[in-house]
Amino acid sequence: MSPQATPEAPYVAAFEAAEHDGAAHDPAWLRELRRDAMAEFTRAGFPTARRGNEAWKYTDVRPLASTAFAAPAPDDGPGELDLSPYELPCPRVHQLVFVDGRYAPQLSTDPPSEGARSSHVFFERGDGPIVGRLAEAAHYDVPLVHEHLGKHAGAAASAFASLNTAFVRDGAFVSIPDGVSVPEPIYLLFISTGRPEPAAPTVTYPRVLIVAGRDSSATVLLSFESLGDGVYFTDAVTEVVAGPGAKLRCITLQRESTAAYHISTTQVVQARDSAVSSVTIDLGGSLVRHDLSVLLAEPGASVSLNGLYLGTGNRHVDNHTFVDHAVAGASSDEVYKGILDESSRGVFVGHVLVRPGAQHTVAHQVNKNLLLSDEAEADTQPKLEIFADDVTCTHGAAVGALDPAALFYLKSRGIGEAAARALLVHGFVREIVDSIANDAVRQYADEAVTAALGTG
Amino acid sequence: MLEIHDLHASVNGADILKGIDLRVGAGETHAIMGPNGSGKSTLALVLAGHPAYTVTRGSVTFDGRDLLGLAPEERARAGLFLSFQHPIEIPGLRLDHFLRAGYNEVRKSRDEDEIDVLKFDRLIRAKVKETGMDAALTKRSVNDGFSGGEKKRNELLQMTVLEPKLRILDEVDSGLDVDSLRSVADGINRLATPESATLIVTHYQRILSYVVPDAVHILIDGRIVRSGDKHLAAEIESRGYDWVTEAAQPAPPSVAPTAGQS
Ligand SMILES: Nc1ncnc2c1ncn2[C@@H]1O[C@H](COP(=O)(O)OP(=O)(O)OP(=O)(O)O)[C@@H](O)[C@H]1O
Ligand SMILES: [Mg+2]
Repeated sequence: MSPQATPEAPYVAAFEAAEHDGAAHDPAWLRELRRDAMAEFTRAGFPTARRGNEAWKYTDVRPLASTAFAAPAPDDGPGELDLSPYELPCPRVHQLVFVDGRYAPQLSTDPPSEGARSSHVFFERGDGPIVGRLAEAAHYDVPLVHEHLGKHAGAAASAFASLNTAFVRDGAFVSIPDGVSVPEPIYLLFISTGRPEPAAPTVTYPRVLIVAGRDSSATVLLSFESLGDGVYFTDAVTEVVAGPGAKLRCITLQRESTAAYHISTTQVVQARDSAVSSVTIDLGGSLVRHDLSVLLAEPGASVSLNGLYLGTGNRHVDNHTFVDHAVAGASSDEVYKGILDESSRGVFVGHVLVRPGAQHTVAHQVNKNLLLSDEAEADTQPKLEIFADDVTCTHGAAVGALDPAALFYLKSRGIGEAAARALLVHGFVREIVDSIANDAVRQYADEAVTAALGTG
Repeated sequence: MLEIHDLHASVNGADILKGIDLRVGAGETHAIMGPNGSGKSTLALVLAGHPAYTVTRGSVTFDGRDLLGLAPEERARAGLFLSFQHPIEIPGLRLDHFLRAGYNEVRKSRDEDEIDVLKFDRLIRAKVKETGMDAALTKRSVNDGFSGGEKKRNELLQMTVLEPKLRILDEVDSGLDVDSLRSVADGINRLATPESATLIVTHYQRILSYVVPDAVHILIDGRIVRSGDKHLAAEIESRGYDWVTEAAQPAPPSVAPTAGQS
């Protein structure tokens, strides 16, 4: 069989090569995790079927599957990198930077007192956040990593999650010890050089594990950026474990190249009385798909999910969210908004499952789409499965153009057509940007959104 | 300042304005009264350039310019201001940002420099005080969750900031408590200059005892059927509109009644 026989074959070959080369120092459990994931990926294959493939009904990944992506060459480093466009507007930040999947120590900073990352001691501290490399954590066999990595967004999630796990070697490991509050943002920056042709398209597998201990509190920004406008593939997986009473705010800013494929899988697991806020902002990419799942595993857990996606050109952005109310007395509140221009397409599928016995569940979901052109398209589909009777569940969806009455109101105050439209569009996104509690991250995201919207 | 001649307008195929003639000179205040659905707001919106309304006949000049040929934003920049009967809510757009955008657009059109956030902040604080509005409202989304009275005050604030030449006030008094009515009326009077004019649409004589009109026009079924001085408003208040309609009856329906002149 030639290696090109199936779309999966090149990945199998790359996997074997990687395992053969540099996997010897990894703990046995990690190698096993990868091997199982690869087996799962080959079994499932890319979800390219156009029939009977409910989860991918709106999103055709055949162009992705048929593109030959290679691992970035080791000597392909970006050289000197100017990170100033990606700086958060605050003096202290815990920052990890990966360039084309590789950790960039010279770019990764920490508040001075936090000390060296690469030590056993670093991963055992209990007084401050651990923002380190997964590779190091695995090397020191940190128990939390062993306990959680691949346990939440494993094979069951999708072929893309399995593929990521099959190649997991490095990434970010964030651990907030019990009772620790981290005031400064934790910033995980994944940069793709995004070289255009004739460079071969590359694939990276960003991986993040966040474990928030009991009554801890932190803000984590995950950012995907591109330096060029080439074709590449980001296959990201993030696992979030929120302990009892933990308050965790996760913001994802996706600003890949306009030719890039970005597929992400995020699994959040929440213990009693934990509060998680997730904000996903999509400003880039050609084909974008997020699978975000939240398991409200214990009573009192609450989650807010906010999303904003901007479509221009032929961009296709697909947000699939799944909130699992597994127990009584948990709440979820979800607001996703799309602004779709030109020939872009936005997809939102919001699945809420209220399991039997999950009484006093409160679940709200809203998806609103603003269509700025006749060619733009939005698909919105709430999926509520409710197996308990004493619950409060609402959902709403809207697809429409800018409100002519609002436009007229603005114009009647002297504001011209273009400026009026820009003001209304900014007004539409405000709610999502403002759902970011951390000032520095909100300001940074706001600027990114404003820049992406162009005028205003 | 404003000359309306034989103005006909329709919306969704329905004829609403059926031949309006009206002249408002500089320094004057005119009131328009009329039963519900008679076309008062339609007239106001047509003057402001609402795209849903089609002018089917007639002309309007404003300051010597053909008003109907201007886009709504150009009318605003030329100094026309409409205080809406139903101001719209715009979630997400902060009132002060909205006001600054409008203010600067108007300045730009006059070849004046835009003013920066800090300067505008100072300006708006002064204007807020002048209008007696709750300053906190300027940091909220435009009209979003405002009470009826707060919305009207917000219209007054916008008018105070933009300093228009022609103020068209569509039921600025509805939903206001007695004290607010007084203060809104004071606000309107404060803006009055010999170079500017006011067209005030109302159902009640009350506001006209503060903002005293030079002329009162009664609009019924898309036509001005009677004009008079401020006493006409009091008469309407006590007698309603029926007598006006009856009095207007002799005129053949196909002929537009004589419009009021000031
Ligand atoms: N968009 C529209 N489509 C159809 N009919 C309309 C539309 N807008 C206004 N109308 C009709 O035009 C007529 C005049 O309405 P307008 O709002 O001008 O009345 P008004 O005199 O301001 O009444 P009110 O005193 O109640 O404010 C009404 O019969 C109204 O139903
Ligand atoms: Mg009206």
